[in-house]
Amino acid sequence: MALLELKNISKIYGELKALDNVSIHVDKGEWVAIMGPSGSGKSTMMNIIGCMDKPTKGEVLLDGEDISKLPSKRLTDIRRDKIGLIFQQFHMVTYLTAVENVMVSQYYHSMPDEEEALEALGRVGLRERAKHLPSQLSGGEQQRVCVARALINHPELILADEPTGNLDEANENIVLDLFRQLHREGTTLIVVTHDPEVADAAQRTIVLEHGKVAREVVNENFVE
Amino acid sequence: MTKRRMFLRMVTASLLRRRSRMLIALLSIGIGATILAGMVTIYYDVPRQMRAQMRSYGANMLLMPTEGETLDSEKLAEALDKLPEDALVGASPYRYVRLDMTSRQQSFTTAGTDFAQVQKTSPYFSVEGRYPEAPREILVGGEIAETIGVKVGSDMELTWQPTAKDASGSAEDDRVPGATLAGSAKGFGDQMVYVTATLDDEAKIKEIKIDASTQTPEYGGRTQTEPGFAEQFIGKTLPLEAGEDIDALSGATVTSTAVVDALNAARAADESAQPKTTRYRVTGILVTGGEEEGYVFMSTDDLTALTGEDRLDVAELSISADEAQLTEYAQALTGEGVTARLVKRVTKSETAVLGKLQALVFLVTVVVLILTMICVSTTMMAVVSERRREIGLRKALGASDNSIRGEFLGEGMFLGLLGGVLGAVLGFAFAQVVSVNVFHASIVFRPLLLPVTVLVSMLIAAASCLMPIKRAVAIDPAIVLKGE
Repeated sequence: MALLELKNISKIYGELKALDNVSIHVDKGEWVAIMGPSGSGKSTMMNIIGCMDKPTKGEVLLDGEDISKLPSKRLTDIRRDKIGLIFQQFHMVTYLTAVENVMVSQYYHSMPDEEEALEALGRVGLRERAKHLPSQLSGGEQQRVCVARALINHPELILADEPTGNLDEANENIVLDLFRQLHREGTTLIVVTHDPEVADAAQRTIVLEHGKVAREVVNENFVE
Repeated sequence: MTKRRMFLRMVTASLLRRRSRMLIALLSIGIGATILAGMVTIYYDVPRQMRAQMRSYGANMLLMPTEGETLDSEKLAEALDKLPEDALVGASPYRYVRLDMTSRQQSFTTAGTDFAQVQKTSPYFSVEGRYPEAPREILVGGEIAETIGVKVGSDMELTWQPTAKDASGSAEDDRVPGATLAGSAKGFGDQMVYVTATLDDEAKIKEIKIDASTQTPEYGGRTQTEPGFAEQFIGKTLPLEAGEDIDALSGATVTSTAVVDALNAARAADESAQPKTTRYRVTGILVTGGEEEGYVFMSTDDLTALTGEDRLDVAELSISADEAQLTEYAQALTGEGVTARLVKRVTKSETAVLGKLQALVFLVTVVVLILTMICVSTTMMAVVSERRREIGLRKALGASDNSIRGEFLGEGMFLGLLGGVLGAVLGFAFAQVVSVNVFHASIVFRPLLLPVTVLVSMLIAAASCLMPIKRAVAIDPAIVLKGE
C-alpha cells in the first residue's frame, strides 16, 4: 500500500522545469533512495515530499490525502504529525543541549518528555552526551541527535536529505545502521543522496536526471 | 514537563547561552529604560526642584492687615502657623517709617525687618559688606549711600519724630526737651494729686511743685506742706520708685506714692512725645537695581526700640507651591485681621516657565523612547537574521507561525523585564546625578517608578519585536535549511 504517491508533478520556476511530470510511489515501510546529480531536481522533490514546498502541477498523495493544494498552515501540521526530517548539515538549535534539541521536536508535536527524549538519545548511543551543547558534539554525534529528534514523535515517514554528506565513514555506518533499525521497525524511509553506498543500503533507488525519473533500480542484495 | 516549562527553558537558554548578543539587546533596552526612568523622575521632580529655585525671584505672597486692623509680630506668627512647614521658604515682616538724618537735613524711608528672613524671601538682594547681625546695625540702599556718601562701617544718626505728621509744629519747636514736666495721679480716696517739675540740662529734677490740696491735710496734705518731702526729689533722675528712691511720709504712703507716679507718668508721656535719635552702624550697602536702593533697613527690634511701637505694615512670604496651592494658602491665611494676596507677576511667570520646562523634558523622553525602540528593533532584527537557520529548523519541526511569534515575543519581553529593572535602578541614579548637578538637590524616590519602567520597557521591547517577528515568520525553511 502506497504511503506516498507523486502523480505527474511538475515544479516550474519561470523557464526552468525543476521537476517535469514526475510520478513515483513509496510503499508503507519501504526504504527508498533518491539519487541524481546536482540540479536533477532531488532537492525540489525532497521539499515537496517534506511539505515545505508545493508542486506547480500534479498531485501529492500522502496516506491517501492529496496535500498538493493545501495551505502552508495545514502542510505544517502534516509535516509535524507525519514526517521526521534529517538534514545534511544536521541543524540543531545551537544554544540547547542534545536532549533539549530532541525535546523541541516533542514541544511542537505534543508534550516535551525528558525521559522519552533521553531514551531516544539512548537509541542512537548518546545518552551520556545528553547535556552537551551542539558545539561540544562531533558531526557524527550531532547527526545522531538529529536522527533521535526525527524519530522521537514516531513519524510515518523519515525524510533524510544527504544525511551522511558531512560524515566520515565510521559515522556514516552508524547512521545507516540506525536506518536499518528503523526500517526493521516498519518506518518508511526516503533518503536523498548522491552517494551510491548510501543508495545501496536502500531497498530501491530512484534516479533523477533533468527533472525526470531516469530509472528505478531495485537492490537485489538488500538484507533485511 | 509542560509546554510552558519547555517554553521558559528555551527562552532562558536562548538568553543565557547567547550572552554577547543578548547583552547588547539588554544594554539597548536598559539604556533606554534608564533614560526613560530618569527623565520621568526629573519630569515629576522638576516642579518641586525648580519651585525652590524659582523662589529666588522673590516673594510670591503678601500678608497685610485688613483695613482698619493692625498687624504685629504675634499676629504674623499666628498666621504663618497655618502654612505647612516645608512649603514656607521665608516670611519677611516689614514696617515702613520716615526717619530723619538731621545732620544732612535728609529723611529716608526706613524699613524694619528680619534680615534672616529677607535673605530667604529676597535672595537676589546683593549686599556690599554684610547683613546686620547685632543691634543698631543697618543696611543702606545703594542710592542713599551714594547721595549722602555713606560707606560700610560709617555711622548714621537717625531721628524718629513722633509728631512727624504735624510737620509745622515739629520744625519750629524750640522747646528744650523735657524741661518741664506736669503730671497727675490718683491719691487717697481716688482724689487727684498734681505735680509739676522743672529739669536741668542733665534731666535732673531742679524744682518740684506738689499740689495735694485734695488730700487730708493731716496726712496726705503734708506732702505739699512739709518741704522735706519735696526736697528728696531734687537732683534725682526720673523714673523713681516710691519707698526706694523716695521715702514716703509716715501716714501718707498712698499720697507719697501718687506724687512719684505722677512724675513718672509725666516723664513717660514726655519721652514718647520726644523725637528720639539713635546712632547706627552701616554694615552693608544694598544693591538691587530696584526701589529698595532708596531705603534704609534695620531690624524690627531696633525700629521698635526707636519708635516704641511694635507694628507691621506688610509681610512678604515666599512659598514653595504651585499657583493653585498658593491660592488655597492665601484663602487659609486671610481672616482675623489679615489679608493675603498673591504676587501675580511672580506666580504667573513661575507657572509658565515650569510648564515649558516640563514640556521640554516630556519631548526628550518621547524622542528617547523612539530611539530606544529603533535600537532594540535593530538588535532584534540582527538576532532574527542570525537565527534564520534556527527559525527555519523550528518551522521544519512543525512550529506554527504563532509559536515562532510567541518565542520571539517571549525573549523580547524577558529582555524588557530585565532591562526595565536595570533601567529603573540606573535611571534613578541618573536622575539623582542630574538633579544634584543641575538643581543642587537630591530626588525623592517614587516606588511606582519601578513597575511603570518595567512595564513600559516590556511594551517597548514587544513593540520593537514586531518587525523582526514579521521577518522571522516569513522565513522559508526549505531555503534556509538547504545544504551546502
